[in-house]
Amino acid sequence: MNIFNKLQNIDRRVIYAILLVVLVIPLLRPIGIPLSVNETTKTIYNIIEDLDPATDVVLLSFDYSPGGSPDVHPQAVVIAEHLMRRGIKWVGVSFWDAGPMYAEQIMKYYEAQGAMYGVDFVNLGYMAGGETAIKNFGDNPRGAFSNDFRGNSIDSLPVMAGINNITDFAYTIDFVSGNPGFQEWVRQVQGPHGIKYGVGIVTVSVPQVMPFLQAGQVQGLLQGLRGAAEYEMLLGSPGAGAAKMDAQSMGHMVIILFILVGNVAFFMDKKKDKK
Amino acid sequence: MRREIPLAITFVVGMTILMSYFFAGTIPGTAWNLKNLAGDITGWGVLVSAFAVLLASVNLVRIHGAAISRKRKGWYNSGILIATMVAFALVGILRKHNPANTGINDLFQNMFNNVLSPLGAAMFALLAFYIASASYRAFRARSLEASILLAAAVLVMLGRAPIGELMWGQFPVISKWLLDIPNMAGQRAIMIGAAIGGFATSMRILLGLERGHLGGE
Repeated sequence: MNIFNKLQNIDRRVIYAILLVVLVIPLLRPIGIPLSVNETTKTIYNIIEDLDPATDVVLLSFDYSPGGSPDVHPQAVVIAEHLMRRGIKWVGVSFWDAGPMYAEQIMKYYEAQGAMYGVDFVNLGYMAGGETAIKNFGDNPRGAFSNDFRGNSIDSLPVMAGINNITDFAYTIDFVSGNPGFQEWVRQVQGPHGIKYGVGIVTVSVPQVMPFLQAGQVQGLLQGLRGAAEYEMLLGSPGAGAAKMDAQSMGHMVIILFILVGNVAFFMDKKKDKK
Repeated sequence: MRREIPLAITFVVGMTILMSYFFAGTIPGTAWNLKNLAGDITGWGVLVSAFAVLLASVNLVRIHGAAISRKRKGWYNSGILIATMVAFALVGILRKHNPANTGINDLFQNMFNNVLSPLGAAMFALLAFYIASASYRAFRARSLEASILLAAAVLVMLGRAPIGELMWGQFPVISKWLLDIPNMAGQRAIMIGAAIGGFATSMRILLGLERGHLGGE
């Protein structure tokens, strides 16, 4: 057994250990690798900057699971921060069962700082039914929920005053980690009602959004954890997203290294066998 | 009649929703507005989905209850599953009926923040290690197509990670081109193909030619 053969058959625990070390070190001691900002992130930022705090209400749809939350929840946190800084009211809704809990996490944080539930933001809660529920909500947002997630009547909430149609929301941002997600929103709400619609999505699904972005159906895109980090840079408040980018960078480099070493070992071993 | 009634319901409901996109008026001979009818039907769809969640829960209890009572291998995992399901359900139901009780609200939120969310994230985080192992052992440039795939993957990874941009400023440009041109073309082709296939399957289901959803043969 030559060295290249041994390299190919290395114990997978060695691979796991290398990756673990490479991910943990930058988390404990950040390197501070500079980060540029994508145009798709700037689009969302500029749209929110152009909103009028006196009249505009934004809809945030929390459509992600605990599995997708490390990639997407930092996006929701930083968008909420931008909205709160600008004094823009927002409404949270979810078509994934865990979504309302992530919305509550964010709202409780701002309530502790003096924000008022019902006046500054509202959590409508979860609606079962996937694409059917999204259509139902898009056709009649007020009728879809009689009470919010905390049991309050919709009619008693100042944020919901004036929201009778889906087009009454100035901007909708959908935080997505799977299905139902942005495709269902485009099919059932953005297309039929022509709303302004942005997406924050897990990195692995970014290629799927590109056709919708190019067609103008999606206006603005946060691309995974990097999107959250970029937005934090735009706000001037580096947070969870920026802190994890160094670890993500090193993780990518290690994976590339594994691919290269594995292929070199494979071809050199093959060459030796031929001889 | 066991098959005919569900097929008839599928046809009538499906056609009502389909026609509501093309016609705005009332059904001739009736006072029923197509759009209002379609809206009611989609509302019923939400109720059916909620019942499906209940059905799934009952089924879980049945399957795992049987595993516990028969002491099958790993039965204690089934016990933990049922216990946590009951705990979350009880606290959630109490929260729903006592919205003003901050103690129960905080308990439910803490159970989610400190148990479900980190465990769910950890499960998906394990994928990183499997990918690392696969990238070392299985990602081989055995053919021209595999080589192109690997090269594209490496270029996109370098373009997306900040360290790649630091190494060479053109990596993000190349990555963007790969996503905007070849990827876009492939995604569009897949979407159009899937949409045509989905339309064909939907018409077969509506017309009763496809009966797999009814069970049996």
